[in-house]
Amino acid sequence: MNRIFVVAQSEFLILVKTKAFFIGLLLMPVIMAGAIGFQVYAEKHSDRDDHKFVVIDHSGVLYAPLAEAANAFNQKNGTGETRTGPNFIVEPASAGAASDEAYHLALSEQIKNKALFAFVEIPAAVVDPNVETPPAIQYYTETPSYDRLPEWLGRTLNDEITKRRFNTAGVDQALVKKLSVRADVQTMGLVTKKADGSLAKAKETDPITTFVAPFAVLFIMFMSVMSTAPQLLNAVIEEKMSRISEVLVASVSPFELLLGKLFGVTAVAVLLAFVYFIGAGYYMIYAGRTELVQPALMGWFVVFLICCVLMFGSMFLAIGSACSDIKDAQSMMQPVMMLMMVGYIGSFAVLRAPESNLALGLSFFPTSAPFIMMLRMAMQPTPPLWQPALALAITLITAVGFVWAASRIFRVGLLMQGKGATFREMLRWVTQG
Amino acid sequence: MAAIEITRVTKRFGTYAAVNDVSLSVPEGSIYGFIGPNGSGKTTTIRMIMNIILPDTGEVTVFGRHSSTSARDEVGYLPEERGLYKRMQVRRLLRYYGQLKGRSLKEIDPVINTWLERFQLTPWADKKIEALSKGMAQKVQFISSIVSKPRLLILDEPFSGLDPVNADALKDAVLDLRKEGTTIVFSTHDMSAAERLCDRIFMIFKGNKVLDGTLDEIQSNYGHDTVRVKVAGGRASLSNFGDIDTLNDFGNYQDLRLKAGTNPQAFLKQLTNTTEVQHFELTKPSLHDIFVRIAQPTAEDMKRPVSGAD
Repeated sequence: MNRIFVVAQSEFLILVKTKAFFIGLLLMPVIMAGAIGFQVYAEKHSDRDDHKFVVIDHSGVLYAPLAEAANAFNQKNGTGETRTGPNFIVEPASAGAASDEAYHLALSEQIKNKALFAFVEIPAAVVDPNVETPPAIQYYTETPSYDRLPEWLGRTLNDEITKRRFNTAGVDQALVKKLSVRADVQTMGLVTKKADGSLAKAKETDPITTFVAPFAVLFIMFMSVMSTAPQLLNAVIEEKMSRISEVLVASVSPFELLLGKLFGVTAVAVLLAFVYFIGAGYYMIYAGRTELVQPALMGWFVVFLICCVLMFGSMFLAIGSACSDIKDAQSMMQPVMMLMMVGYIGSFAVLRAPESNLALGLSFFPTSAPFIMMLRMAMQPTPPLWQPALALAITLITAVGFVWAASRIFRVGLLMQGKGATFREMLRWVTQG
Repeated sequence: MAAIEITRVTKRFGTYAAVNDVSLSVPEGSIYGFIGPNGSGKTTTIRMIMNIILPDTGEVTVFGRHSSTSARDEVGYLPEERGLYKRMQVRRLLRYYGQLKGRSLKEIDPVINTWLERFQLTPWADKKIEALSKGMAQKVQFISSIVSKPRLLILDEPFSGLDPVNADALKDAVLDLRKEGTTIVFSTHDMSAAERLCDRIFMIFKGNKVLDGTLDEIQSNYGHDTVRVKVAGGRASLSNFGDIDTLNDFGNYQDLRLKAGTNPQAFLKQLTNTTEVQHFELTKPSLHDIFVRIAQPTAEDMKRPVSGAD
């Protein structure tokens, strides 16, 4: 037991006493904020080009309002260096082309030469109120991924088209507008009874408690596991290649070594999570959202986190011990990374439907349970107690099983030099050994 | 009591017997040299002593104990090259290795200080291993194997790649430890080091024990069949003797190995009949010669494919 602690302590210090750890710890939130900030900035500022397009208007009435709308759009974006959006420059179709096909080809050539961005063909029937399903407006482009222009076109043209249809049918557009005003849906929490028997008014739910906080809990779990467990892989390979493993197993048993490493890395993960939570908690208190600080949830979190790191850590240790170089290991760790991602990827669907079958399945699937269960526990309504209890039991049993299997692989793989093992060989070590 | 007792041990990897029915007894307080060509089973033997791997058959005891887990704390081990965390500081690494052997920092620290001082490494105590030269790193590695004050010290190639000054420093350290009662086993390719340091020598070749004993015993087993001669006419005048098995020409003198059964005195008479003998000496073969004789294909081995017959 004492030796396990010695190994754990050393492993902990090796991981924590590096510049990379501190930089990672501090930079992670900065990078996250930076990434979001950059996206917002890029959205606003990167798209400032002129997009010139030709309109072939067979209806004969839509060109003028479209050109007007484009002008208004460009005006709104401002001019010069301070522009915040693209310029849409509308050009009428030139009359007197030999045939439609020839004209389309000529315009396509212009688009290829970058003289033009796109062209639009509006069928005459779109403004006919008697046509049940009007033909589509056709938008020709070389850059189909740019959806801002066709979106704007669709919206602007359809506004104009409906207006015309109403007019033709003799309906007052202003009246239609007035009568079709929408009633909003406001999402409320539940009504509760106060201690004195009076009713407490339900509060409007806010996105912070419903989405941001649960996702943050999941994300901290994910980051804490992601930035610790995989490091065991490199650590073991380094020890193996430099023959340190030989010295180590000459002093402690492979099982003690394995446990020591797992405990060390688990401690780092818990430390990481605490740092983030203290940061988040401090911010919440500062922001006056003390109801978001939930000690019971933290308790569950730590237990799930420990199981999760043990589970993934033992997988990485097993792979590391069975490989002879980093390259080998990187391809073998892909499946483990995928298992780790299951919970993260699944979280988006679970966030929308926390009581769906998918959510239940992911809550009880061992490698995603810690992530999904924490996410659901941070959401409203919280799942009944048997659910996290069962999920924890499943995760714990899996973690213990993986640690056991990894110790059998570790024992054989650690001293093996030369060629790395395959998954099949590793399985044989576990079952026979 | 023997420090290490290996009894009829066999270890196979697949169908290949890395160690084949080997027995060996290392007395306490002795220095035992393990020699043998690369891949002959030295490291496998050492790993079985360390209880890192288990023999298929036979048994290994260290200080009379079967399960080396209990003996493990009494054993220091220096693997061939490396074996150090590059990014750890010297002192922290030495403390860690000592703690892994179950020693407290109170026990370890004085030992570390003494040895760092002795190897003039004190100024480097707080530097990372990667900042050290190869010789310094190897000395740190040596210290790491003895911080726990082991009763048995196993060194795998401790002198390879060291300059003469560092190699001597290490050899002196080994001899001092023996004086204090430590049993030392080391493997080496440096035959002169083995001759000088070892009380007993063990050679393993293709998994089999081929030599085991004191240098004297081994040399006398190989007989006084080596003759050093200096004759007028040098090598040329020796070419007609059928009794010579192999000939090593050193220019000023020649070392001859006579064919089995040849009487050196009779050979001397023949020699004096044909040429002037300036020097004639019966010598023991060096460990180097014995090693080469065992590990190299014999003259017969070399001839066989050519002559084909008999």
